[in-house]
Amino acid sequence: MKCGAGIEARQVDELFINIDPIQAGGRLTADAMKAVIAYGDGYSVCDNCRKPNRLDYISKPPIAEFHKDMAAWLNMDTVRTVPGARRGFQAVAHTYVHKGDPVLLTSLSHYTEFLAVEEAGGIAREIPVDADHKVTPDATATKIEEVQREFGRVPVLAFIDHVDYQYGNMHDVKAIAKVAHENDIPVLYNGAYTVGILPVDGKDLGVDFVVGSGHKSMAAPAPSGVLATTAERAAEVFRTTTIVGDVTNRKFGIKEPEMMGCTLMGATLIGLMASFPHVKERVKHFDRELENHAIVMGALLAIEGTKCLSEYPRKHTMTRVDTTASFDTVAEAHRKRGFYLSSALGERGVTGLIPGATKTWKFNTYGTTKKQAMHLADAFIAIATENGLPFKR
Amino acid sequence: MTFQAIYTLTDLRAVLRETAPSHELDADQRAQAQRLLDNLKQQVASLKQEMLR
Repeated sequence: MKCGAGIEARQVDELFINIDPIQAGGRLTADAMKAVIAYGDGYSVCDNCRKPNRLDYISKPPIAEFHKDMAAWLNMDTVRTVPGARRGFQAVAHTYVHKGDPVLLTSLSHYTEFLAVEEAGGIAREIPVDADHKVTPDATATKIEEVQREFGRVPVLAFIDHVDYQYGNMHDVKAIAKVAHENDIPVLYNGAYTVGILPVDGKDLGVDFVVGSGHKSMAAPAPSGVLATTAERAAEVFRTTTIVGDVTNRKFGIKEPEMMGCTLMGATLIGLMASFPHVKERVKHFDRELENHAIVMGALLAIEGTKCLSEYPRKHTMTRVDTTASFDTVAEAHRKRGFYLSSALGERGVTGLIPGATKTWKFNTYGTTKKQAMHLADAFIAIATENGLPFKR
Repeated sequence: MTFQAIYTLTDLRAVLRETAPSHELDADQRAQAQRLLDNLKQQVASLKQEMLR
């Protein structure tokens, strides 16, 4: 089935349980799919754009209302949509970081946070993690002191991931932000794995910026995301243009340079908006997601030799496991080598594991039903049994 | 009318996702699928009537 020349229709999530760590939370709702069909044309949301001609002022479809609702939901003051969380990082870094400025990241920060700092000319300084792969307030304080000694000043900005992409561990952002603020360092909360997955309250966390990923965690098409700020920071990051053309004397109204004017102008925004009511509802039931995840983890850990490399019990549905002493022991003698595991999962209707991975790998059960979680658990046990790996019943 | 039919198919797509990989539908899902398929039949019939008149 083709949906264009050489483009096969994608049916991954219709045919399989998809445990890809970065895809689970971005799976579209039916409403988002419908909205994308209706608003696929280029500037589709701009039919009723009137003065002052900016995306977040459009009332039909209700984009202006969506921005207000999103800010209220995150308990922040102002929101803009951005083409992915990375563009949120970029806007904030470009506002506060200048050449040679130290910026606080962590040993688990996403690469796009580094790139945002690099592009702004900043210098990355990472807070090291502890033995449990957690970023702590104490380590943050120590790193700030180190930076102060090295640069003669504190970092100009801190990027803190609430749940990191490597282990899916939950870090104490509130306490870390407190330490940063005691040193007058603004804090960007990276909610790529939390906004749209579990409740997030920016004011309670005490952060200056909340960044979320639409395509990673808000059931929206890529690239989409949100950048939310406090009122104080909004005036800085969302400052309006002042440039004037010397020949034409043109000015550009209330366009915002960091946003490059309007941001998401079609299917991405409308998909994000259509999923929003469902997303607001689903974060209230994150406990169910953890219950389903526990079913799968229980099965994996029952297979002798399997270790959970993430914090345990799990606080998130994305987890890194080490199966070097279980599934990997089969790989060497198996005719498919390390590919046997993803292949065997595929035969059981499961996809999303990196082909060839048998040592350490990540998976995410977000959005699975209980029945699907049990299917996943049974699949891992069946593969273990088939390959003679012992497991505890 | 085209949107109605496409959206009904989209709802069926969502059922497929929710029940992957076995697509064994429980009683509620079966009733939902039945209703959607009945609607789709009507929507296609109306489209045929409108477009080919």
